[in-house]
Amino acid sequence: MDTFLAAASEFSDPFMIFVILAGTVGGVLVGAMPGLSSTMATALLLPFTMTMEPIPAIALLSTLYCAGTFGGSITAILVNAPGAPPAAATAFDGYPLAQQGRAGLALGIATVSSTIGGIFSIIVLIVAAPMLARVAYDFGPPEYFALALFGLSMLASISGESAFKNLLGGAFGVLLATIGMDFTTGVDRFTFGFYELTEGVHFIPVMIGLFAGAEFLTQANSLDRVTVRAVLEAVKLPRWADFRKTLGTVARSCGIGAFIGLLPAEGGTVAAMIGYNEAKRWAKDKSLFGKGDIRGIAGPETANNAATGAAMVPTLALGIPGSATTAVILAALLVHGLRPGPHLFNETPTLLYGIFIAMLLANLMFMGLGLLGAKLFARVTLIPTRFLWPAVFILACIGSYALNQSIMDVWIMVIAGIGGFFLKRYGFSAAPIIMGLILGELVESSLKQSLIIFDHNWLRFFERPIVVVFVLLTVLSMAMPLIGGYRARLRAKMPPSADIPGD
Amino acid sequence: MPDNAESGARVANREGFAARIPRDAIAGAGVLVFCVAVYLVTLTFKEAPAVIAQNVQPATFPRMVLVVMAVLAGIIIFQSFRTRDKPKKPLKPMVWLSAMVMPGFVIAFYLLGILPAMILLCFFLPLLWGERRFRIIVPYSIVFPAAIYLLFVTVLKVHFEPSPLAFW
Repeated sequence: MDTFLAAASEFSDPFMIFVILAGTVGGVLVGAMPGLSSTMATALLLPFTMTMEPIPAIALLSTLYCAGTFGGSITAILVNAPGAPPAAATAFDGYPLAQQGRAGLALGIATVSSTIGGIFSIIVLIVAAPMLARVAYDFGPPEYFALALFGLSMLASISGESAFKNLLGGAFGVLLATIGMDFTTGVDRFTFGFYELTEGVHFIPVMIGLFAGAEFLTQANSLDRVTVRAVLEAVKLPRWADFRKTLGTVARSCGIGAFIGLLPAEGGTVAAMIGYNEAKRWAKDKSLFGKGDIRGIAGPETANNAATGAAMVPTLALGIPGSATTAVILAALLVHGLRPGPHLFNETPTLLYGIFIAMLLANLMFMGLGLLGAKLFARVTLIPTRFLWPAVFILACIGSYALNQSIMDVWIMVIAGIGGFFLKRYGFSAAPIIMGLILGELVESSLKQSLIIFDHNWLRFFERPIVVVFVLLTVLSMAMPLIGGYRARLRAKMPPSADIPGD
Repeated sequence: MPDNAESGARVANREGFAARIPRDAIAGAGVLVFCVAVYLVTLTFKEAPAVIAQNVQPATFPRMVLVVMAVLAGIIIFQSFRTRDKPKKPLKPMVWLSAMVMPGFVIAFYLLGILPAMILLCFFLPLLWGERRFRIIVPYSIVFPAAIYLLFVTVLKVHFEPSPLAFW
């Protein structure tokens, strides 16, 4: 309780309130702008937080994450252009509802559902993170290796064109993590004589490149795009009847979002898609889905926000990012000299409570902002691409440079940006590469340490029960997309009236 | 294998020999070539003394990852012949020009310094992208770079190296 009060006292400082407000407003704006995402914004913002104290710095990034996830719904509903990937499913029913002149109701549902999902996820974070951290005390190198492997295998099921492309992206990220000096032997690998690469490739320039740089080129390919905006009179709070209609969907999506968020590497986009599918699957009358059913907004919006706090659980307790944005928050913790994991809970509990309080305040703030200022936030789409994206590119370059004040990082960002754009055209997502790059060092170091402990006998991995559990989960997570693909092919071959058992 | 009609639909926006090969097969083949090239690079790594390496040489782990990548690329190539490509819109010339601007900016950053590089980018990139309202471009290309420069240099204390051509 003392720790909580100590953390709460930090928020009596007007600067902290300013930080939370700035993070929330910035997050909603960034989330609402098509092409910009909370991942990109946190990565661009990271250099700005380096001179701040750890609590305001992490609070700023966390609030940006929460608010950015919600902000995407505004343009998904009004413009049919999801501001961020987690809001893609919101557009399925949000935009048709807006076209019917009920944009206010759609935004009201999105705002309230997002807040409920967000607050639920913080409860999950407060309860689950310390529990997981206690479990992690028993982890040694073999357990961490199996956990990292499980995290990478989860890439098979994140959104994207193909499970194998995601896994390949993850493996490529792991390969990138081997650039630099080998920490056990001191031998340089893939440095090609550049001393700047001796310490390896930091994932922040790669991440900024893959997200901001690649999007810069995507925008260059669609300069003539015309945005059609739905008219918005005022945002309406859902009526009791609307609330009752969506209650089951919201409750279900809270659970779905929190569960997906807890899984390493999974994020709000997957949660939102599953939230939408489940809202449709459980609905008795499915006829309005895709034409403007409020459950089609409540489902994904609750789920993607419920994933935010939950994704912080593996990030804080294990140092394994729950999503691409939490990977940046993980980097911010490291930049401030904090090592995520069980010790974080003992050594800096004030910081953790500070994050919880900041995220809670962000959820309450974006509810107010969403209800009162959605019309204003929707106007960010009026900023011309021809001025916005040169500015984003400059921020991407300076953000990459500021991290180590090295021009090599700017080159890495540019190469990642151009490469990421073409990889995206071939169906490779950015998130798996980032995850691989972050987990790569952990995979290699824990594998080497484990092999030394086990005297190079691989079978001894299976003497550890936690390792066995993670290996089984890894096999399961890699098999799921294959089973899903097989079932989809089977369904496609069957006549329309036939049902697959278990569906 | 898809029938001929499907094959035709697969590659609606490609012609000739390339039209007969699925896009993912090309990507997978590219990954395989990359893996071979990187594997050859690992052959140049120095060997560490056995007492330090403890049976895990510096090249061991990267090679394991390359093998995994090659297997996955093989699966992607195999799968590509069982699915149809979605037609993709061809890239506009502006993408290639913008892709050249990116390294161009870094070179300008290095040679001229960050502030002149930002001013040049903020002036010429909107022009390149079709903006002709000079009453917006000119103040934008002065105010935005100046604000960013002041923020990073004075507030965030980021040190920018003086450019080799900073005689002016």
